[in-house]
Amino acid sequence: MLRWWATFALVIATVVPLPAQRPEVLVSAAASLADVMGTIARIYEMRTGTRVVVNTGASNTLARQIAAGAAVDLFISADEAQMGTIREEVVANTTVDLLSNQLAVVVPADRPRTLRSARELTDAAFRRIAIGDPAAVPAGVYAKAHLQQLGIWPAVSGKIVPTASVRLALAAVENGAADAAIVYRTDLNAAHRASLALAIPLAEGPRIIYPAAVIRSGRNREGATRLLAWLRGTEAAGIFKGAGFIPLGQ
Amino acid sequence: MQTEILDIAVFTTLAALVATVVMLPPGIGLAWVLARHQFRGKAIVETLASLPLVMPPVATGLMLLWLVGRRGPVGRALAPFGIEIVFTPAAVVLAMAIMGLPLLVRTARAGFEQVTKRYEQMAETLGARPWRVFTTVTLPLASRNILAGALLGFTRALGEFGATIVVAGSIPGRTRTLAVGIYTYTETGQDARAASLLAVSVTLAFGAALIANRLARVD
Repeated sequence: MLRWWATFALVIATVVPLPAQRPEVLVSAAASLADVMGTIARIYEMRTGTRVVVNTGASNTLARQIAAGAAVDLFISADEAQMGTIREEVVANTTVDLLSNQLAVVVPADRPRTLRSARELTDAAFRRIAIGDPAAVPAGVYAKAHLQQLGIWPAVSGKIVPTASVRLALAAVENGAADAAIVYRTDLNAAHRASLALAIPLAEGPRIIYPAAVIRSGRNREGATRLLAWLRGTEAAGIFKGAGFIPLGQ
Repeated sequence: MQTEILDIAVFTTLAALVATVVMLPPGIGLAWVLARHQFRGKAIVETLASLPLVMPPVATGLMLLWLVGRRGPVGRALAPFGIEIVFTPAAVVLAMAIMGLPLLVRTARAGFEQVTKRYEQMAETLGARPWRVFTTVTLPLASRNILAGALLGFTRALGEFGATIVVAGSIPGRTRTLAVGIYTYTETGQDARAASLLAVSVTLAFGAALIANRLARVD
C-alpha cells in the first residue's frame, strides 16, 4: 500500500506546476487568430527573447477565464462585446483596436459565381445559406447585421442555416450542404473547395474589430504592454496582413 | 507537423493516464460506500457523483474554473503556495478526472455489489481486520469491474473537451489535448492537422473502448 501511495505522490508531483521561472507573456487570443498568433509568438521571441505563450479559444470562453482571475497578460478578442464583459479586468487605457476583418460570401468551388452585392443572395439558386449562429457567433452577428442593413433579412432568413462557428459555415459550403456562406475573408486562406463570390467592401459591411487589452490579473504587465506595442508596429502588421487581417496600427 | 501531432497524442494519453490514477482512490472509495452502505442523503451523493455525466461539460468546466480560479475558494487556498491550476497540465488532468469519475464509480459499484458478502464474513471470522478484508477479498473480487471502470474513465478522459478548454485553455505544448487540438485546428482551417489528430483519436478511443467492453462483459 505504501508503494502505491508513493507512486501516487510521484504522479501528483509531476503534474502540479511549479511557479514559472522565466518571464513570459501569456496571451489569450480568439480562436480565429490561433494560426497567425503562433507565427507572431515565434518571431517575437526571436526578436526580443521574450517567450510568448498563446492560449486560444472562443472569445466568450476566454473572457470567462479572465473573469475567474486567470493570469492572462494580454487578451485579443474577436469582438468588442466580449471585451466589454470583462471591462473591470482591463488595465485602464490599454484597450486598442488591433485588427479588422472583412466579410465574404463564399460558394462551392465546383459552382463558382461572382456576386456584385449580397442582395443577390435572395436569388432562388441559393437554397441554403450558412452563417455562424447570430445568437452567439460574432461572424453570424456581423452577417445578420449586414443582411439587415441591406434590407433582405426577411427575404433570406428562411434560407439561413445557423452554425456553431464560422468555420462550420465554411465547411457547409465546402461539403456542398449549403449553396453559400457568409464568413470572414481570412477564413478563405485554407479553403480548398470554396471560392470567393464577393468580398463585402469595408465601407458597406459592418465594423469588425478585434480589440486587444492588457489584463490586470496578469503577471507580466510590462511584457504585455511591450508586446502590444509591437503588435501595432510594422513587422506585426505585415504578418497579420499576410494572414488576411487588416491591421489597424497606431 | 508530425512531431506536433505526436506531442499532442502523447500528452493526451499521459494526462488521461494520470487522471485515471488520480480518480481511482476517490472513485473506488465512493463506489464501495454507495454499494455497501445505507445512510441519510445517499441519494444526493449518488446524484452528485453522476452529475458530470449529465451536465454539459462546458458547465462542469465553468464550475471548476470558479472553484480553482485565483478568485475561487480552492484557487485562493493554493495561491500562497505558488500553485496555480488554470492553464496548466494539472487543469487538464483535473477536468479529465472529474469527467471520468462517474463512469468509474458506476462500473466499480456494480462490481462491489456482485461480491458475495459471505466471503467477506468468512475472512472476518478468520480474524481479518476490515481493511485487510477489503484489500484481500473485496477488492480482488471486484477488480475486473474496477479495471473496466478505470478504462471507461480513461476513454472519457481521452476525449474530454468541454471542461478542458474552459479550465486549461488551448496552449500548444502545455495544455493542448487531442480534442482541444481538433477544435483549434478546425477553427483556423488547418484541416490536415485536424484530420491527423482525428485519426489518432479514433485509434486510441477504439482500442480503449474495445478493451473496456471486453472487461465489463459478464461471462
